[in-house]
Amino acid sequence: MLILAGLFLPLFPLSMVFNTVFSRIEKPYQRIVLLMLWPQIGLLLVHLSDVSIPSWVVTWGILTAFFYAFRLLTIRELGLWASFLATSAWALLWVTILHDGESPFYLYALGFSVPLSLLVFLNKELTDRFGAAYVGLYQGLAQTQPRISGILVMVLLAVIATPIFPSFFTMLHTIITATPDSFVTVVLACFVWLLWSWAACRVMAGLIVGPATAFDVPDLTIATTWKYSGVIVSLIILSLILIGGMP
Amino acid sequence: MSLSLGQTLKIRAMIYVAAEPVPFFWPMRSFIHHNPLHGLEHMPFAEAVEKGGKIFHGRTFLPRYDYQRYLKTGDVDVNSLEFSVDQYLAQINFTADVNLKKWIMSLLTQQTSVVVNPLTVASVADVKSTLNNQSLASASDLSDEKLCEILQNELLGEHLVYESVDALYGTDIGNDLDDLVIKSCLDFFDEGQSVWGMPERRQGFFSAWREVATRNVRLFLRGMHINHILAVDDSPEGVIAHVMETLGVSEDHWIAYFTNEIARLHGWAGFIRWRSSSKQYYWHKRYPADLVDFVAIRLALGLALLQQSGRRDLASTGNAISRIIKTSPKETFLRHEFYTGKVIPALAHEVEMCLQSRSPVRLEKVFSKYIATKRHYESRTLANRLSDLARSVGESESLKQLSVEELDELVAALKAFEKQEGMHWLRAMESKAMAILTQGINLAPTQSRDKRPFVQALFCIDTRSERIRRHLESVGDYQTYGIAGFFGVPVSFMELGKGSENHLSPVIVTPKNLVLEMSTDEQQYDPTAVTTIEKVFHELKESILSPFVTVEAIGLLFGFDMVGKTIAPRAYNIWRKQVQPDRSHTRLLLDKLSREQADSIIRTVQRAVIIKAAEQELGLAPENINDNIVRQFRDGAMQLSDASDDLPEISGIDKSRVHAFISRLHKTYRINPSFAQVQLEQLGRIGFTVDEQAHFVSQALFAIGLTKEFSRFILLVGHGSTSDNNPYESALDCGACGGNHGLVNARVIAQMGNKPEVRAKLRDLGVDIAEDAWFIPALHNTTTDEIRMHDLDLVPASHLVYLDRLRNGLTAASRLCTQERIPTLQCQVNTHGPDSAFDVAQRNAIDWSQVRPEWGLSRNAYFIIGRRALTEQFPLEGRAFLHSYDYLVDPKQRILENILTGPLVVGQWINMEHYFSAVDNERFGSSSKAYHNVAGRFGVMSGNLSDLRTGLPSQTVLENGRPYHQPVRLITLIEAPFEHAKIAVEAVVAVKNLVRNGWIRLMISDPRTNILHIYDDGEWHQQPHHPTSETLLPRESTQP
Repeated sequence: MLILAGLFLPLFPLSMVFNTVFSRIEKPYQRIVLLMLWPQIGLLLVHLSDVSIPSWVVTWGILTAFFYAFRLLTIRELGLWASFLATSAWALLWVTILHDGESPFYLYALGFSVPLSLLVFLNKELTDRFGAAYVGLYQGLAQTQPRISGILVMVLLAVIATPIFPSFFTMLHTIITATPDSFVTVVLACFVWLLWSWAACRVMAGLIVGPATAFDVPDLTIATTWKYSGVIVSLIILSLILIGGMP
Repeated sequence: MSLSLGQTLKIRAMIYVAAEPVPFFWPMRSFIHHNPLHGLEHMPFAEAVEKGGKIFHGRTFLPRYDYQRYLKTGDVDVNSLEFSVDQYLAQINFTADVNLKKWIMSLLTQQTSVVVNPLTVASVADVKSTLNNQSLASASDLSDEKLCEILQNELLGEHLVYESVDALYGTDIGNDLDDLVIKSCLDFFDEGQSVWGMPERRQGFFSAWREVATRNVRLFLRGMHINHILAVDDSPEGVIAHVMETLGVSEDHWIAYFTNEIARLHGWAGFIRWRSSSKQYYWHKRYPADLVDFVAIRLALGLALLQQSGRRDLASTGNAISRIIKTSPKETFLRHEFYTGKVIPALAHEVEMCLQSRSPVRLEKVFSKYIATKRHYESRTLANRLSDLARSVGESESLKQLSVEELDELVAALKAFEKQEGMHWLRAMESKAMAILTQGINLAPTQSRDKRPFVQALFCIDTRSERIRRHLESVGDYQTYGIAGFFGVPVSFMELGKGSENHLSPVIVTPKNLVLEMSTDEQQYDPTAVTTIEKVFHELKESILSPFVTVEAIGLLFGFDMVGKTIAPRAYNIWRKQVQPDRSHTRLLLDKLSREQADSIIRTVQRAVIIKAAEQELGLAPENINDNIVRQFRDGAMQLSDASDDLPEISGIDKSRVHAFISRLHKTYRINPSFAQVQLEQLGRIGFTVDEQAHFVSQALFAIGLTKEFSRFILLVGHGSTSDNNPYESALDCGACGGNHGLVNARVIAQMGNKPEVRAKLRDLGVDIAEDAWFIPALHNTTTDEIRMHDLDLVPASHLVYLDRLRNGLTAASRLCTQERIPTLQCQVNTHGPDSAFDVAQRNAIDWSQVRPEWGLSRNAYFIIGRRALTEQFPLEGRAFLHSYDYLVDPKQRILENILTGPLVVGQWINMEHYFSAVDNERFGSSSKAYHNVAGRFGVMSGNLSDLRTGLPSQTVLENGRPYHQPVRLITLIEAPFEHAKIAVEAVVAVKNLVRNGWIRLMISDPRTNILHIYDDGEWHQQPHHPTSETLLPRESTQP
């Protein structure tokens, strides 16, 4: 059962299954369903199994998270980037599962998945406009497509667990619960967090800043921008409400 | 490796030629507007901008949508645009059954982006199939040979090897190299900004750098084996030859290769080029450098970086790249597509994965898929764009009916047109601007006056003078003239308290006469003490450790300054002015010294030196050094007589010490005949003879046609700007005064013109200045529009009663001018009425956060040489250089030739600087001021490391990211009989070439015939002057 759970709360090399499936499907809604359900299945399997989690699984999870965070630095295709980030983030859930068996894990998993869903939509927006959401192929979106740039920055901040987005509280909880037991785990988790930020900075540098190249590509409509903004604000509000449950 | 003299000279000559397209860059403290393509002015404008665009990787025309914006606002002459399209159509042989003119006009006015994309792998037949919704022919005709040809054109020949490597492997060698070279330049060329200077700078750039580079641990740790490269030869030429041979660049391509190398950092290269040509420049004399050094350093570092990448199995020489093109063209093609960003976005990831895997099978598969996709992509893109265009002109069906040959013809015609499209827009914009000018000018003869005007004011030709002149004329009986802001007097000026000379003249003129500023006040404070305090503060800030302590100790003092400047700049500035001592009253030492005076000064200086030396070296008390001893020491040192016999006796010093002291006076203290001669020559540069003074004054007055009917006051108004925290401040000052304030030149010529002996000579020259006429110098502050008069203490008592009226007039003109100008600068500011406009202008001048204190010369478009009456009633919105000229006083065209040689050429530089900064601010301009940092005290960089920014900042030429300056070539109007003006233009070779090559648009308005002569496309066109004509299209034409 644990091995099966390691498929859905991805542990390397089982994580390759999720990434392969994710890259094979192209429709954003299918990808979002996958992002939402995949870790929940893993959590359910862990919940159903009565086996106690051995500590080496957590080490394995941390190393998986570290590996994918490191790979994130070189990934330029935004869909794959989201997939690797999801893998890295979900692998960290093992830390919480080991150290705090009472937490609402499904919410923590959602805390990672929902912002990533927004990134999947943005991936589609960019692909429709430019042929691909590929870092470095076109630059300076801030000048020519300010709305999509603004939303992209906010979503990137949300997915890399920046305060006060839901994923931030998930990461915070992971670190707080692990602190008394394993200092090394905390340091590694923080390092993974740092790598996510670095990777997101590279994405922003490769797409948003720099000399503009795409002058005749339409920006997001105002209505769509409001929709994205609404979801982002809702996420923040929800995370602030649900923070009350954090131990 | 040792080069022969011939080879050495050959390399030097090659670099000299290669650097020709790179313009000079003068130090920022005296910003000189220049044409970024000055080195290509020998070519026709259209050809030069094409070549310049390639060399500097810059855009030379605005994007189409900016021109379309101008079209909507009425700044483009549609008729001229159509006429221009007709001319294009007449040149080509087009037979396809579509209305090509309609297509092109639609392309110009309806399409925002380029229509004809390059077809690399697709063919016109593919486009035809796509248009007719047919599938493409099964196989692409892209053979390996064609692939090799494409790649060789893109990567070999004169292409920089490291750029090719970057384009194939995604390395960043080019940028790394630029960074290393910039750091070396910053170290060597520093002019006092750094506390620790680069060692051995006196040996020259290459030698000093070589000394440091061979010991540079950071280069070693990066894996750059620079020592191996530098060990080959000691000379820069030897290193250059070695690197070029190692890289495998054919000697036929060396010049073009050097040009590309130099153009990558054209700001630094331009500065080095200027510096090496300025033999008298202090820093060059002290630390010599030239472009050969620069190229040698670039090539050596570049080779070290390439060798570093070569160790990673990357093709890192020309030969190696040539080899991989031949052996694996498909992989090389995919690499090139991917790393240059040309890759089809949808396949970018697949191509990247394939290149990483290096599997031949996968490569073949991906290559086939990529070529097929690219073929579809190219043909679909072009077919869609053609369909859009056809739909816009209602010829969709005609497009589908075209045969492949006809479609090919159509695509070729559109492609060729798009290549030259910028010129069509530019001409149409200029045509509109010319029409506006010709509608506004007044060719009626000047009415004679009953009485002389209250004031005659001479302003600089600068475009900013146009507004203030107009308003001054509107408030009273003021007559204004335009003249180059240095008033025709090139002055080398030594300011009070400064030890160096400043050239106050256009950069193309080298002043011969030195003018000294002398104080008339008793010295209130010790300038040495102030200088010392400033130096201490500077060193505290600049050294490594002291800033930590300094911040704690005196940081709060600077904090007050910062808060004051930020929160309440105006009030704080007023307070600071009250605290600081007033500047001394000064006079200018203007008259030539006589031989006796000069001898006397030298003797006095020598005596003072001898007394000090005797005190210090011989230990003589001051009371024991009498005139006789000093004279004998001096005579001995000057070898006038052998005075050493008496001296031991009268001074009480033994003979051997006397001899030794005299010898030291002679050698160390340079009291000797040869140095005295040098001093005499230097003193000889001070001032002007009376004849020279009369000559300069008469020349200035003749140039503007003011030779009689002088009024009581003749204002000589120089100009300058005021701003804070602005490295570009001198760009807003007077270009004719070498990027300085124009007040000194105004004071010089006023002082000359007020001298009775000069006036007497002027009378002989035909300029009869009224007895009661008085020249007053003044300064027009272009940031605040204030005009402040100077040297009023010299004004005769009889004139003082009129000064109030004059002041009131100047104040009124200033306020009206501010009211007109400020809304163009800060339209969001409430500027109802002159008061609020005045407040805004005052704040702009002292606000250290203000990135745009004024627009400067932005929007300049015209250069008008003629009577003031031409444009007196025509508001030109600060867009015109106005040079007064009366052809009636210039029968031999000498004055006109002078105007063309100096002011017009400088005007053209200013115009071109603005043109290119507006069309590509990133490359030819200097981007945003917000990121600028001062480099070495002579330039600015963007961020902490960049090329020297040479052009104008975006805040000067752009507004909300779009051009504020309308980029058109300088439209020059000369009011004179056609033959008269034509002879003058033909006589000035530089101007003749500028006109013939289309860098200047020339019009001659003939007041005798009322006919307008326009030079266009190599021909003179004539048309009667009709003020109502809204377009200027060629009518009758004659060959030049």
